[in-house]
Amino acid sequence: MLTFLALASVVLLGIVPEQTQGIVIYTGWERHALVGSDIRLSCSFFSWRWTSEDVTFSWTYRPDGSRDSISIFHYTGGAAYVDNKGPFRDRVEFVGNPGRRDGSILIKNLDFSDNGTFTCDAKNPPDIVGRPSSVRLLVFEKVPIQAGVITGAIIGVVLGLLVLIVVIYYLMRFLVARRVFSLSVRSVTGLWPAALCQSGLCQGLKQKPEPIPGTDTCVAKLA
Amino acid sequence: MLMLAGIVVLHVTGIILLLVATIDNAWWVTDALSTDLWGKWELNDLTWHYTNQQGYAEVAEYLQTVQATSVLSCVFTILALFVFVAQLFTLPKGQRFTFTGVLQLIACLCIMIAASIYTAQLHTDDKVGGYGHSYVLAWISFVLTFFSAITYLVLRKKTE
Repeated sequence: MLTFLALASVVLLGIVPEQTQGIVIYTGWERHALVGSDIRLSCSFFSWRWTSEDVTFSWTYRPDGSRDSISIFHYTGGAAYVDNKGPFRDRVEFVGNPGRRDGSILIKNLDFSDNGTFTCDAKNPPDIVGRPSSVRLLVFEKVPIQAGVITGAIIGVVLGLLVLIVVIYYLMRFLVARRVFSLSVRSVTGLWPAALCQSGLCQGLKQKPEPIPGTDTCVAKLA
Repeated sequence: MLMLAGIVVLHVTGIILLLVATIDNAWWVTDALSTDLWGKWELNDLTWHYTNQQGYAEVAEYLQTVQATSVLSCVFTILALFVFVAQLFTLPKGQRFTFTGVLQLIACLCIMIAASIYTAQLHTDDKVGGYGHSYVLAWISFVLTFFSAITYLVLRKKTE
């Protein structure tokens, strides 16, 4: 029983992932940048094997609307080779760390003609079976407004106005009621119910109501 | 009693349709794309990918206004439901549910502004694709909230 379990676990953990997983490459999905700026295109991979010395990174570029791709970067045998003839000559720089499975490149001084898809392909011998991953680059003239600034502003202003209107409405109602009450109270002497003897309501009146102890009425006396 | 149930059902239906229209990203739909208001679903090699940025450069401000007004319409209509329940208990008999009606009318106005701006400013040059179910639900909920608001403004509380 135990040997069967041991064998099964070795089979499941040792062989199956290597045979079915291969190398998995990660880049972004889409990148946005301004004309004239620099952009770092990141590429990393996951592999069940240790990072080999013969690890290679390859970047190719396909312009928007075109079917052909050209190679712009290759890292192999510990050395990085950048584009020196194509549209990216003198603009590509290797900023990755192959030992850490990072094959990122830096593209400087972007232009509208750089719009397109960049594909990263990494190989970690003997783990070479994998799908290259693509990142789409969009170059803008002006920075599109940050997501949610206008949204938040409109929602905040409208809800704030609503709260303000409700508060003002209830405040007016309270003030008007108090004013009406104080006007009518000024002329009435005699017994009042105790609820009206709140000191706040009777300030400034010519008459001062005094509660009669033991009952819940009060008597208004001239101040 | 039946009338009360009918009014509440109408209001709640309006709320649900507004929430679906606001939350579901399906205002503009093509064979491989389902986009707006919050993100974009693209079909790429049999898998759907979600992106937060729609890549609108010129109309980003209009999209954000549509986002704001549709969220506001949801907020106002839900607020109107709570105010209606409160007014059911506190309103003196024979009075109209004006506060509820006003809130519902503001919600109706907001979703109308949202859908109108979307129609006028976004996807005006796109030849491929059409309006998705969220857009249709936005207009339907405009109608529902409008009738609901009229009902609240006309209805009087029962005098026993």
